[in-house]
Amino acid sequence: MSERINLEVPADLSSLHTVSTVVAGIGARLDYSLDDLADVRLAMEILLSDALQLEKLETIAVQADVADGSMKLTAGPFRSAELRRRVTVGRDDCIDLCLLLRRTMDTVTVEDDDASFSVVLERRPREVSS
Amino acid sequence: MSGREEHRVNDPLDLEAPPGQVRSLDEDEELQSTGAADEAHPPRGRDESEKQDQFLLKVYHYGKDSDDPQERRRAMQARQKLIAMYLPLVRSLARRYASRGEHFDDLVQVGAIGLIKAIDRFDLERKVELTTYATPNIVGEIKRYFRDKGWSVRVPRGLQELNIRLNKVIDELVPKLQRSPTISELAEAASATPEEVLEALETSQAYNSVSLQASPNGEGGEEDAGLIDYLGGEEEAYDTMEDRTTLAPGFAKLDKRERYILHLRFFEGLTQSQIAERVGISQMHVSRLIRRSLEKLREEIGELDSPEIMHASSDDDR
Repeated sequence: MSERINLEVPADLSSLHTVSTVVAGIGARLDYSLDDLADVRLAMEILLSDALQLEKLETIAVQADVADGSMKLTAGPFRSAELRRRVTVGRDDCIDLCLLLRRTMDTVTVEDDDASFSVVLERRPREVSS
Repeated sequence: MSGREEHRVNDPLDLEAPPGQVRSLDEDEELQSTGAADEAHPPRGRDESEKQDQFLLKVYHYGKDSDDPQERRRAMQARQKLIAMYLPLVRSLARRYASRGEHFDDLVQVGAIGLIKAIDRFDLERKVELTTYATPNIVGEIKRYFRDKGWSVRVPRGLQELNIRLNKVIDELVPKLQRSPTISELAEAASATPEEVLEALETSQAYNSVSLQASPNGEGGEEDAGLIDYLGGEEEAYDTMEDRTTLAPGFAKLDKRERYILHLRFFEGLTQSQIAERVGISQMHVSRLIRRSLEKLREEIGELDSPEIMHASSDDDR
Protein backbone atom coordinates (compact mmCIF):
# COMPACT_ATOMS: atom_id res chain seq x y z
CA MET A 1 0.00 0.00 0.00
CA SER A 2 1.34 3.41 -0.92
CA GLU A 3 -0.63 6.57 -0.47
CA ARG A 4 -0.27 10.23 0.35
CA ILE A 5 -2.52 12.27 2.59
CA ASN A 6 -2.27 16.06 2.67
CA LEU A 7 -3.61 17.93 5.63
CA GLU A 8 -3.80 21.67 6.08
CA VAL A 9 -5.26 23.21 9.22
CA PRO A 10 -5.39 26.73 10.69
CA ALA A 11 -2.22 27.75 12.48
CA ASP A 12 -3.42 27.60 16.07
CA LEU A 13 -2.85 25.25 18.98
CA SER A 14 -6.38 23.87 18.91
CA SER A 15 -5.76 22.55 15.41
CA LEU A 16 -2.97 20.33 16.67
CA HIS A 17 -5.59 17.91 17.97
CA THR A 18 -6.90 17.53 14.44
CA VAL A 19 -3.42 16.76 13.14
CA SER A 20 -2.84 14.39 16.02
CA THR A 21 -6.10 12.54 15.46
CA VAL A 22 -5.50 12.18 11.72
CA VAL A 23 -1.98 10.90 12.31
CA ALA A 24 -3.30 8.45 14.91
CA GLY A 25 -5.96 7.31 12.44
CA ILE A 26 -3.35 6.60 9.78
CA GLY A 27 -1.23 4.77 12.32
CA ALA A 28 -4.20 2.73 13.47
CA ARG A 29 -4.85 1.58 9.91
CA LEU A 30 -1.22 0.49 9.72
CA ASP A 31 -1.66 -1.46 12.97
CA TYR A 32 0.75 0.68 14.92
CA SER A 33 0.73 -0.17 18.59
CA LEU A 34 -0.52 2.20 21.23
CA ASP A 35 3.07 3.02 22.20
CA ASP A 36 4.00 3.73 18.57
CA LEU A 37 1.03 6.00 18.14
CA ALA A 38 1.73 7.83 21.39
CA ASP A 39 5.27 8.55 20.21
CA VAL A 40 4.30 9.75 16.74
CA ARG A 41 1.57 11.98 18.08
CA LEU A 42 3.83 13.42 20.73
CA ALA A 43 6.61 14.17 18.24
CA MET A 44 4.25 15.83 15.81
CA GLU A 45 2.49 17.90 18.45
CA ILE A 46 5.70 19.13 20.04
CA LEU A 47 7.25 19.99 16.68
CA LEU A 48 4.21 21.91 15.53
CA SER A 49 3.72 23.71 18.82
CA ASP A 50 7.32 24.90 18.62
CA ALA A 51 6.74 26.02 15.06
CA LEU A 52 3.67 27.98 16.14
CA GLN A 53 5.63 29.55 18.95
CA LEU A 54 8.60 30.54 16.80
CA GLU A 55 7.07 31.85 13.61
CA LYS A 56 3.91 33.38 12.32
CA LEU A 57 2.23 30.78 10.20
CA GLU A 58 -1.07 31.09 8.40
CA THR A 59 -1.66 27.39 8.17
CA ILE A 60 -0.02 24.18 9.28
CA ALA A 61 0.63 21.73 6.49
CA VAL A 62 1.39 18.08 7.11
CA GLN A 63 1.89 15.47 4.45
CA ALA A 64 1.66 11.82 5.39
CA ASP A 65 3.22 9.23 3.10
CA VAL A 66 2.31 5.66 3.80
CA ALA A 67 4.36 2.87 2.30
CA ASP A 68 5.40 -0.62 3.36
CA GLY A 69 3.50 -0.44 6.60
CA SER A 70 5.22 2.65 7.87
CA MET A 71 4.49 6.32 7.92
CA LYS A 72 6.53 9.35 6.86
CA LEU A 73 5.30 12.73 8.00
CA THR A 74 6.48 15.95 6.42
CA ALA A 75 5.66 19.17 8.20
CA GLY A 76 6.33 22.58 6.75
CA PRO A 77 7.37 24.74 5.05
CA PHE A 78 8.97 26.63 7.92
CA ARG A 79 11.32 29.59 7.88
CA SER A 80 12.41 29.97 11.48
CA ALA A 81 16.15 29.53 11.92
CA GLU A 82 15.54 28.88 15.60
CA LEU A 83 13.17 26.02 14.81
CA ARG A 84 15.73 24.56 12.42
CA ARG A 85 18.35 24.79 15.14
CA ARG A 86 16.10 23.14 17.71
CA VAL A 87 15.34 20.26 15.35
CA THR A 88 18.93 19.63 14.40
CA VAL A 89 21.03 20.63 17.40
CA GLY A 90 20.39 18.89 20.66
CA ARG A 91 22.03 17.91 23.88
CA ASP A 92 22.09 14.40 25.24
CA ASP A 93 21.39 15.54 28.77
CA CYS A 94 18.43 17.72 27.96
CA ILE A 95 14.93 16.90 26.79
CA ASP A 96 14.90 19.51 24.07
CA LEU A 97 13.06 19.23 20.78
CA CYS A 98 15.96 17.49 19.07
CA LEU A 99 16.31 14.75 21.69
CA LEU A 100 12.57 14.33 21.93
CA LEU A 101 12.22 13.80 18.18
CA ARG A 102 15.18 11.42 18.09
CA ARG A 103 13.78 9.34 20.94
CA THR A 104 10.31 9.06 19.47
CA MET A 105 10.99 8.76 15.73
CA ASP A 106 13.28 6.53 13.68
CA THR A 107 14.62 9.30 11.50
CA VAL A 108 14.38 13.06 11.64
CA THR A 109 15.59 15.02 8.65
CA VAL A 110 15.39 18.58 7.44
CA GLU A 111 14.69 19.16 3.76
CA ASP A 112 15.71 22.60 2.53
CA ASP A 113 13.87 24.40 -0.20
CA ASP A 114 15.25 27.88 -0.98
CA ALA A 115 14.48 30.03 2.05
CA SER A 116 12.24 27.50 3.74
CA PHE A 117 12.59 23.99 5.04
CA SER A 118 10.43 21.03 6.01
CA VAL A 119 10.89 18.56 8.83
CA VAL A 120 10.50 14.91 7.86
CA LEU A 121 9.70 12.39 10.56
CA GLU A 122 9.69 8.68 9.90
CA ARG A 123 8.56 5.94 12.19
CA ARG A 124 8.23 2.23 11.60
CA PRO A 125 6.13 0.22 13.99
CA ARG A 126 8.34 -0.98 16.85
CA GLU A 127 6.45 -4.18 17.35
CA VAL A 128 4.77 -6.19 14.63
CA SER A 129 1.37 -7.42 15.67
CA SER A 130 0.85 -11.15 15.40
CA MET B 1 -16.53 -14.13 79.24
CA SER B 2 -18.37 -10.89 79.88
CA GLY B 3 -17.81 -7.79 77.83
CA ARG B 4 -16.09 -6.15 80.74
CA GLU B 5 -13.72 -9.09 81.23
CA GLU B 6 -12.94 -9.09 77.53
CA HIS B 7 -12.25 -5.39 77.75
CA ARG B 8 -9.77 -5.98 80.55
CA VAL B 9 -7.94 -8.72 78.71
CA ASN B 10 -7.79 -6.96 75.36
CA ASP B 11 -8.83 -3.37 75.63
CA PRO B 12 -9.10 -2.02 72.10
CA LEU B 13 -8.43 1.42 73.42
CA ASP B 14 -5.35 0.48 75.35
CA LEU B 15 -2.83 2.51 73.43
CA GLU B 16 -0.05 0.87 75.35
CA ALA B 17 -1.17 -2.60 74.35
CA PRO B 18 1.60 -4.61 72.72
CA PRO B 19 1.43 -4.88 68.96
CA GLY B 20 -0.66 -7.79 67.83
CA GLN B 21 -3.61 -7.38 70.15
CA VAL B 22 -5.25 -4.81 67.96
CA ARG B 23 -3.45 -4.22 64.76
CA SER B 24 -3.93 -3.59 61.11
CA LEU B 25 -2.79 -5.88 58.37
CA ASP B 26 0.78 -5.28 57.45
CA GLU B 27 1.73 -4.74 53.82
CA ASP B 28 2.53 -8.40 53.10
CA GLU B 29 -0.72 -9.63 54.50
CA GLU B 30 -2.55 -7.00 52.58
CA LEU B 31 -0.95 -7.94 49.30
CA GLN B 32 -1.88 -11.53 49.85
CA SER B 33 -5.51 -10.68 50.32
CA THR B 34 -7.54 -10.85 47.16
CA GLY B 35 -11.03 -10.16 48.42
CA ALA B 36 -12.00 -6.95 50.07
CA ALA B 37 -14.34 -7.01 53.00
CA ASP B 38 -13.82 -10.52 54.31
CA GLU B 39 -10.08 -10.69 53.91
CA ALA B 40 -9.35 -7.18 55.07
CA HIS B 41 -10.21 -8.18 58.60
CA PRO B 42 -7.21 -8.30 60.85
CA PRO B 43 -6.28 -11.84 61.83
CA ARG B 44 -8.71 -12.01 64.70
CA GLY B 45 -11.56 -14.44 65.10
CA ARG B 46 -14.66 -13.19 63.37
CA ASP B 47 -16.67 -13.14 66.58
CA GLU B 48 -13.88 -11.39 68.40
CA SER B 49 -13.60 -8.92 65.57
CA GLU B 50 -17.31 -8.15 65.60
CA LYS B 51 -17.34 -7.75 69.35
CA GLN B 52 -14.40 -5.40 69.20
CA ASP B 53 -16.02 -3.34 66.45
CA GLN B 54 -19.26 -3.12 68.38
CA PHE B 55 -17.40 -2.13 71.51
CA LEU B 56 -15.48 0.63 69.76
CA LEU B 57 -18.56 1.86 67.94
CA LYS B 58 -20.47 2.07 71.22
CA VAL B 59 -17.61 3.91 72.93
CA TYR B 60 -17.57 6.38 70.07
CA HIS B 61 -21.27 6.94 69.54
CA TYR B 62 -22.25 7.00 73.19
CA GLY B 63 -19.28 9.10 74.23
CA LYS B 64 -18.81 11.62 71.44
CA ASP B 65 -21.39 14.07 72.74
CA SER B 66 -20.76 13.40 76.40
CA ASP B 67 -20.28 16.26 78.83
CA ASP B 68 -17.35 14.40 80.30
CA PRO B 69 -14.16 15.46 78.45
CA GLN B 70 -12.51 12.16 79.27
CA GLU B 71 -15.36 10.23 77.67
CA ARG B 72 -15.24 12.45 74.62
CA ARG B 73 -11.51 11.88 74.35
CA ARG B 74 -12.05 8.15 74.71
CA ALA B 75 -14.75 8.33 72.01
CA MET B 76 -12.34 9.96 69.60
CA GLN B 77 -9.73 7.35 70.42
CA ALA B 78 -12.24 4.64 69.56
CA ARG B 79 -13.00 6.35 66.27
CA GLN B 80 -9.31 6.62 65.45
CA LYS B 81 -8.85 2.97 66.29
CA LEU B 82 -11.67 1.93 63.99
CA ILE B 83 -10.28 4.03 61.16
CA ALA B 84 -6.84 2.48 61.58
CA MET B 85 -8.27 -1.03 61.76
CA TYR B 86 -10.27 -0.63 58.57
CA LEU B 87 -7.73 1.20 56.44
CA PRO B 88 -6.64 -2.14 54.94
CA LEU B 89 -10.22 -2.57 53.73
CA VAL B 90 -10.02 0.89 52.13
CA ARG B 91 -6.72 0.01 50.48
CA SER B 92 -8.10 -3.26 49.23
CA LEU B 93 -11.11 -1.54 47.66
CA ALA B 94 -9.02 1.34 46.29
CA ARG B 95 -6.74 -1.15 44.57
CA ARG B 96 -9.64 -2.27 42.41
CA TYR B 97 -9.79 1.22 40.94
CA ALA B 98 -6.06 1.88 40.79
CA SER B 99 -5.76 1.10 37.08
CA ARG B 100 -8.08 3.91 36.07
CA GLY B 101 -5.55 6.65 35.95
CA GLU B 102 -5.59 8.00 39.47
CA HIS B 103 -2.98 7.70 42.18
CA PHE B 104 -3.52 4.74 44.43
CA ASP B 105 -2.74 6.88 47.47
CA ASP B 106 -5.29 9.45 46.37
CA LEU B 107 -7.92 6.77 46.10
CA VAL B 108 -7.04 5.54 49.57
CA GLN B 109 -7.46 9.06 50.92
CA VAL B 110 -10.84 9.40 49.24
CA GLY B 111 -11.89 5.94 50.37
CA ALA B 112 -10.88 6.83 53.92
CA ILE B 113 -13.41 9.65 53.82
CA GLY B 114 -16.06 7.06 52.99
CA LEU B 115 -14.87 4.94 55.90
CA ILE B 116 -15.06 7.86 58.32
CA LYS B 117 -18.57 8.70 57.12
CA ALA B 118 -19.58 5.07 57.63
CA ILE B 119 -18.21 5.07 61.17
CA ASP B 120 -19.87 8.39 61.97
CA ARG B 121 -23.24 7.38 60.53
CA PHE B 122 -23.25 3.82 61.81
CA ASP B 123 -26.55 2.94 63.46
CA LEU B 124 -25.94 0.81 66.53
CA GLU B 125 -29.52 -0.42 66.48
CA ARG B 126 -29.07 -2.10 63.13
CA LYS B 127 -27.60 -5.53 63.41
CA VAL B 128 -25.07 -5.25 60.62
CA GLU B 129 -21.32 -5.53 60.68
CA LEU B 130 -19.28 -2.39 60.18
CA THR B 131 -17.58 -4.01 57.18
CA THR B 132 -20.93 -4.56 55.48
CA TYR B 133 -21.97 -0.98 56.10
CA ALA B 134 -18.61 0.62 55.31
CA THR B 135 -17.87 -1.13 52.02
CA PRO B 136 -20.57 0.59 49.90
CA ASN B 137 -19.70 3.91 51.58
CA ILE B 138 -16.04 3.59 50.66
CA VAL B 139 -16.74 2.44 47.10
CA GLY B 140 -19.33 5.18 46.69
CA GLU B 141 -16.85 7.83 47.76
CA ILE B 142 -14.21 6.55 45.33
CA LYS B 143 -16.71 6.44 42.47
CA ARG B 144 -17.89 9.96 43.29
CA TYR B 145 -14.29 11.11 43.15
CA PHE B 146 -13.91 9.67 39.66
CA ARG B 147 -17.16 11.19 38.55
CA ASP B 148 -16.66 14.66 40.00
CA LYS B 149 -12.94 15.25 39.85
CA GLY B 150 -11.67 13.18 37.00
CA TRP B 151 -12.49 15.22 33.94
CA SER B 152 -11.24 18.74 33.44
CA VAL B 153 -13.53 19.34 30.45
CA ARG B 154 -16.92 18.01 29.59
CA VAL B 155 -16.53 14.63 27.94
CA PRO B 156 -19.60 12.62 26.91
CA ARG B 157 -20.41 9.85 29.36
CA GLY B 158 -20.11 7.21 26.63
CA LEU B 159 -16.52 8.25 25.93
CA GLN B 160 -15.70 8.42 29.63
CA GLU B 161 -16.96 4.89 30.04
CA LEU B 162 -15.07 3.68 26.99
CA ASN B 163 -11.98 5.36 28.39
CA ILE B 164 -12.35 3.50 31.65
CA ARG B 165 -12.93 0.28 29.74
CA LEU B 166 -9.85 0.91 27.61
CA ASN B 167 -7.69 1.41 30.67
CA LYS B 168 -8.74 -2.00 31.89
CA VAL B 169 -8.37 -3.61 28.49
CA ILE B 170 -4.88 -2.17 28.02
CA ASP B 171 -3.85 -3.51 31.42
CA GLU B 172 -5.11 -6.94 30.42
CA LEU B 173 -3.73 -7.00 26.88
CA VAL B 174 -0.18 -5.81 27.54
CA PRO B 175 0.85 -8.80 29.68
CA LYS B 176 -1.17 -11.17 27.51
CA LEU B 177 0.37 -10.00 24.21
CA GLN B 178 3.74 -9.13 25.76
CA ARG B 179 3.64 -5.90 23.78
CA SER B 180 1.64 -2.75 23.37
CA PRO B 181 -1.74 -3.49 21.72
CA THR B 182 -2.88 -2.03 18.42
CA ILE B 183 -5.99 0.08 18.04
CA SER B 184 -7.87 -2.75 16.31
CA GLU B 185 -7.00 -5.12 19.14
CA LEU B 186 -8.20 -2.56 21.67
CA ALA B 187 -11.38 -1.99 19.70
CA GLU B 188 -12.15 -5.69 19.58
CA ALA B 189 -11.46 -6.22 23.27
CA ALA B 190 -13.47 -3.16 24.30
CA SER B 191 -16.36 -3.92 21.93
CA ALA B 192 -15.91 -0.60 20.17
CA THR B 193 -14.91 0.60 16.72
CA PRO B 194 -11.34 1.73 16.03
CA GLU B 195 -12.66 5.27 15.50
CA GLU B 196 -14.32 5.24 18.90
CA VAL B 197 -11.10 4.01 20.48
CA LEU B 198 -9.11 6.79 18.82
CA GLU B 199 -11.64 9.35 19.96
CA ALA B 200 -11.56 8.03 23.50
CA LEU B 201 -7.77 8.10 23.54
CA GLU B 202 -7.79 11.67 22.29
CA THR B 203 -10.28 12.78 24.92
CA SER B 204 -8.33 10.98 27.62
CA GLN B 205 -5.94 13.93 27.46
CA ALA B 206 -8.75 15.95 28.98
CA TYR B 207 -8.61 13.77 32.03
CA ASN B 208 -7.45 15.71 35.04
CA SER B 209 -4.63 13.75 36.56
CA VAL B 210 -3.59 16.36 39.11
CA SER B 211 -2.81 14.47 42.26
CA LEU B 212 -3.79 15.19 45.81
CA GLN B 213 -0.14 14.50 46.49
CA ALA B 214 1.06 17.37 44.37
CA SER B 215 2.14 20.48 46.18
CA PRO B 216 -0.24 23.42 45.88
CA ASN B 217 1.97 25.24 43.39
CA GLY B 218 2.31 22.08 41.35
CA GLU B 219 6.05 22.19 41.37
CA GLY B 220 6.79 19.73 44.08
CA GLY B 221 9.63 19.84 46.45
CA GLU B 222 11.66 17.44 48.47
CA GLU B 223 8.70 16.91 50.74
CA ASP B 224 6.64 15.67 47.83
CA ALA B 225 5.51 12.12 48.30
CA GLY B 226 5.00 10.62 44.87
CA LEU B 227 4.84 7.10 43.51
CA ILE B 228 8.59 7.12 43.53
CA ASP B 229 8.51 7.07 47.30
CA TYR B 230 7.15 3.58 47.49
CA LEU B 231 9.04 2.10 44.56
CA GLY B 232 11.80 0.57 46.61
CA GLY B 233 13.32 -1.32 43.72
CA GLU B 234 13.93 1.80 41.69
CA GLU B 235 16.27 3.58 44.01
CA GLU B 236 19.42 2.90 42.03
CA ALA B 237 17.89 4.06 38.78
CA TYR B 238 16.54 7.06 40.56
CA ASP B 239 20.01 8.00 41.83
CA THR B 240 21.35 7.89 38.28
CA MET B 241 18.46 9.99 37.14
CA GLU B 242 19.03 12.51 39.90
CA ASP B 243 22.65 12.89 38.74
CA ARG B 244 21.48 13.51 35.25
CA THR B 245 18.77 15.90 36.25
CA THR B 246 21.33 18.20 37.75
CA LEU B 247 22.54 18.65 34.18
CA ALA B 248 19.19 18.95 32.53
CA PRO B 249 17.82 22.46 32.45
CA GLY B 250 14.25 22.73 33.56
CA PHE B 251 14.15 19.46 35.47
CA ALA B 252 14.08 21.30 38.76
CA LYS B 253 10.62 22.50 37.83
CA LEU B 254 9.28 18.96 37.82
CA ASP B 255 8.33 16.84 40.77
CA LYS B 256 10.06 13.53 41.48
CA ARG B 257 7.53 11.39 39.72
CA GLU B 258 7.53 13.55 36.60
CA ARG B 259 11.33 13.51 36.46
CA TYR B 260 11.35 9.78 36.97
CA ILE B 261 8.87 9.08 34.18
CA LEU B 262 10.60 11.39 31.72
CA HIS B 263 13.90 9.79 32.61
CA LEU B 264 12.53 6.32 31.96
CA ARG B 265 11.05 7.34 28.63
CA PHE B 266 13.72 9.58 27.15
CA PHE B 267 16.95 8.45 28.77
CA GLU B 268 16.27 4.78 29.54
CA GLY B 269 14.24 4.29 26.37
CA LEU B 270 11.31 2.49 27.98
CA THR B 271 8.01 2.55 26.15
CA GLN B 272 4.94 4.01 27.80
CA SER B 273 3.58 0.53 28.44
CA GLN B 274 6.82 -0.53 30.09
CA ILE B 275 6.80 2.57 32.27
CA ALA B 276 3.19 1.91 33.20
CA GLU B 277 4.09 -1.60 34.29
CA ARG B 278 7.12 -0.48 36.24
CA VAL B 279 5.46 2.42 38.00
CA GLY B 280 2.13 0.70 38.54
CA ILE B 281 -0.16 3.12 36.76
CA SER B 282 -2.02 2.86 33.47
CA GLN B 283 -0.42 3.49 30.08
CA MET B 284 -2.90 6.29 29.47
CA HIS B 285 -1.90 7.93 32.72
CA VAL B 286 1.76 7.68 31.72
CA SER B 287 0.89 9.33 28.43
CA ARG B 288 -0.83 12.21 30.19
CA LEU B 289 1.99 12.63 32.68
CA ILE B 290 4.60 12.73 29.92
CA ARG B 291 2.70 15.40 28.06
CA ARG B 292 2.10 17.49 31.15
CA SER B 293 5.71 17.18 32.28
CA LEU B 294 7.03 18.06 28.84
CA GLU B 295 4.85 21.13 28.75
CA LYS B 296 6.30 22.33 32.03
CA LEU B 297 9.82 21.35 31.13
CA ARG B 298 9.83 22.85 27.67
CA GLU B 299 8.32 26.04 28.95
CA GLU B 300 11.34 26.32 31.19
CA ILE B 301 13.80 25.29 28.48
CA GLY B 302 12.21 27.80 26.13
CA GLU B 303 13.17 30.54 28.55
CA LEU B 304 16.71 29.19 28.91
CA ASP B 305 17.04 28.81 25.15
CA SER B 306 16.19 32.40 24.41
CA PRO B 307 18.52 33.88 21.76
CA GLU B 308 20.26 36.10 24.35
CA ILE B 309 21.14 33.18 26.57
CA MET B 310 22.25 31.03 23.66
CA HIS B 311 24.47 33.83 22.45
CA ALA B 312 26.01 34.32 25.89
CA SER B 313 26.62 30.60 26.09
CA SER B 314 28.46 30.62 22.74
CA ASP B 315 30.62 33.48 23.90
CA ASP B 316 31.57 31.59 27.00
CA ASP B 317 32.63 28.60 24.93
CA ARG B 318 35.18 30.58 23.04
